[in-house]
Amino acid sequence: MICWSCEREGGAGPLCAACAVVLPPDDAQDRFSVLGVPRMFAVDLEAAETNFKKLSRQVHPDRFATADPRARKAALARTVQLNDAWRTLKDPMRRAEYLLELAGFELKGDDRKPAAAEVATRQVSAPPMFLMEILELREELAEAQRARNAPKVQAMAEAMRRRYADAMKSLGAALDEPGGAKLPEAARLLVGLRYYQRFLDEIPGEGAHG
Amino acid sequence: MAEALLQIGEPGQTRPKRACRTSAVGIDLGTTNSLIAVVDGGKPVCLTDEQGEAIVPSVVHYAADGSVLVGAQARDELAQAFPRDTIASVKRFMGRGSRDAEATRRLTPYQFAPGDGHVVRFAVAGGRAVTPIEVSAEILKVLKARAETELGVKLAGAVITVPAYFDDGQRQATRDAGRLAGLEVLRLLNEPTAAAVAYGLDKQAEGTFAVFDLGGGTFDISILKLEDGVFEVKSTGGDSALGGDDFDRAVAHLLLQKLRQAAPADQVIAALAGQAGEEGAVADLATARRWRQVLDASRALKEALTFREDASTDLPAHLPDGEGPVTVGLTRTEMELAVEPVLARCAPPVRQALADAGVRADKLSGVILVGGATRMPLVRQFVEKLFGREPLGDIDPDQVVALGAALQADALAGGSTQGDMLLLDVVPLSLGLETMGGVVEKLIHRNTTVPCGAAQTFTTFADKQTGFDLHVLQGERELADQCRSLARFSLKGIPPMPAGMARLEVTFTVDADGILRVAAQEETTGQQASVQVKPSYGLTDEEVERMLLDSFAHAEEDVQVRQLTEQRIEADRIAAAARAAMADTPDLLTPEDRPAIDAALAHLAGTREGLDHQAIRRAIEALDEASKAFAARRMNLAFERGLRGRDVGAVEARADETAAGKHRHAHHGGKH
Repeated sequence: MICWSCEREGGAGPLCAACAVVLPPDDAQDRFSVLGVPRMFAVDLEAAETNFKKLSRQVHPDRFATADPRARKAALARTVQLNDAWRTLKDPMRRAEYLLELAGFELKGDDRKPAAAEVATRQVSAPPMFLMEILELREELAEAQRARNAPKVQAMAEAMRRRYADAMKSLGAALDEPGGAKLPEAARLLVGLRYYQRFLDEIPGEGAHG
Repeated sequence: MAEALLQIGEPGQTRPKRACRTSAVGIDLGTTNSLIAVVDGGKPVCLTDEQGEAIVPSVVHYAADGSVLVGAQARDELAQAFPRDTIASVKRFMGRGSRDAEATRRLTPYQFAPGDGHVVRFAVAGGRAVTPIEVSAEILKVLKARAETELGVKLAGAVITVPAYFDDGQRQATRDAGRLAGLEVLRLLNEPTAAAVAYGLDKQAEGTFAVFDLGGGTFDISILKLEDGVFEVKSTGGDSALGGDDFDRAVAHLLLQKLRQAAPADQVIAALAGQAGEEGAVADLATARRWRQVLDASRALKEALTFREDASTDLPAHLPDGEGPVTVGLTRTEMELAVEPVLARCAPPVRQALADAGVRADKLSGVILVGGATRMPLVRQFVEKLFGREPLGDIDPDQVVALGAALQADALAGGSTQGDMLLLDVVPLSLGLETMGGVVEKLIHRNTTVPCGAAQTFTTFADKQTGFDLHVLQGERELADQCRSLARFSLKGIPPMPAGMARLEVTFTVDADGILRVAAQEETTGQQASVQVKPSYGLTDEEVERMLLDSFAHAEEDVQVRQLTEQRIEADRIAAAARAAMADTPDLLTPEDRPAIDAALAHLAGTREGLDHQAIRRAIEALDEASKAFAARRMNLAFERGLRGRDVGAVEARADETAAGKHRHAHHGGKH
């Protein structure tokens, strides 16, 4: 990238290789490479977080509070890109969605229709049998909550957490299968996981990632 | 000289100018109180007035002659006499519209000027209508002047703190107030984050902390992770209309019930007692005064009951046998019963914030208390119960936010020992756009780290549609009319196409201040159609510009008015000091002294009411002259009593300076 300040070749890093001013981000870069980690589900989160913080320290707008407006604009855009990348990578669901998106799966659906993501993934493959089962489980949960049957609610939550964890493990394996051979399976697993997560969201104090 | 009389017994009053590397300041613009701090020698300190007081009450008085007075005098001496012209708790009105229920439907002593609904305007003395932004700017100007006097230089910039839960409109309004006060606003910083910075840097705290911030008018809860100079906000929540003010109101309600029993014939009390806490501005001036009295008495009782089990106050009332004060008493238990329901409103946001952060209360490393209301024993007990641990209060909860802001300002201005500090704050409330059917499409979810961005593509609904109307919203609810309206956009000039063909890309960017910028572009034609932003609340950029220009145009006038105000304050202080000195050592007065000083005092009292600030200054000098011999005798007495730790030269130099009328400089001791 040609540096906006010294007009020499600035390299691919956040700071110009020639004069060290902050450069605007390359929008074509994927979120894994933004954080300098290989594109895969089983990503090294610790390395990604370390890089996120190191890069943030270099390009955060707070470093440029009194700088040239162009530097401030570049710093803002860089940090938006960094924050977006880290938000996607640190959450397993978002990370999985993003990997499928990169592989060309239209999980986000047609963006002209808001909330189409739900429709699209449901259309991918939630089998009617699966939907029935989830529906029944949710009714059972609501019943237990109405009856203030705490042990029952806890037991159901525990069972669902296990299912969630198992599905997440399979999803990770499917996503990282060499050559993308199991991506369609990953998409189906992701759909299931969304239902599990919504089930857990019904229980106060439970979170899929807690 | 009179001032020297008052101060002679207090060693250590002369202060050198601070030797700060940067002249960047941190400002806590609070609902009840405001403070300003700088980093001096690596440590943050709050700047104080000549009496050593760091707090400036956030109370602004508008006088009929056009002068403006800010602070303790406005609160203590003018708020009761001029309840409509003395604005307290202006922060509650920031970024609010005049039809905004949250701000204006409560019982207030203010009068609102009719407006276009975008901003609240207070109708104050002199036929003026002022916006909350202008009122806040007056507070900021006083703080700025304090810093410039103390530092002896022009300020490089300021970090102003805002409640984490402030929405976009409230943030914009705060930024505009800073601009209007002539400050370079380097950053808006969330108050809980500022507090965490103060603890993290000063106390070397590490781990996951909850910051429980209960101020005068706002409640914030933030969960932060502190590690290696990184302050990462995990989640935030709160209520931007809940605070110590509401405790005062609850206590006031109780006081009014008691007053009504003691003075059943008092119609005003009966009316207020029936109305307290309910909607509507107070109808007439007399009632507004009484309401202000009751509110002030409630605040004083609440503060007294922090240290005592019971307290009482005298309030005027109409009794069967004429006007008379009625004594009403309150026990701590009674007060606590009254405020408990208000306090209970803090619990749900705390639970939500913990859940959002994915942290259990028992896994926290500590709970940091911020805000004056956390001084109340009841609040501390409440926090302890809620988190199952004793909260931290090592740093003064009134000062901690300003101190943290000063550290951040220092870092931003680049003078920093905190060069490695990194603040990762979040969006407090989701941001979205209204789509068909009044449903909100969220583009940025709450608790997303700022700065952040999002884009969404929309399309035309009808054939040959040539424009888009977009509605920007903030909030968690599903429907547009349940969320806060931030702005409306029109995008025009799209060539007529069949429905669904035009593609409009809307981009949201939230900067590090938490302020949203929206851009829109029609993709198929590549043409960037004109975007018109009309904020739903607050002022447009043009309005702020105009106010700035107006303030330049009136700068000359303002200087006159300020000098008059300053001389009046000076006159009052010096007269009080002289009276106190005479009462303190009457035996040092010769038979000639007393009539001479009394005459000078009377003359000063007379000129003080006039509009000539130079006449007031001359009257002050005359009082100095009349009390000179008396002052010298007091000084001698002080020396005889063995004033230690003080060199004679300094005291004399000070006395000389004051005699020459340079009262203010004496305290900054620039010459010593």
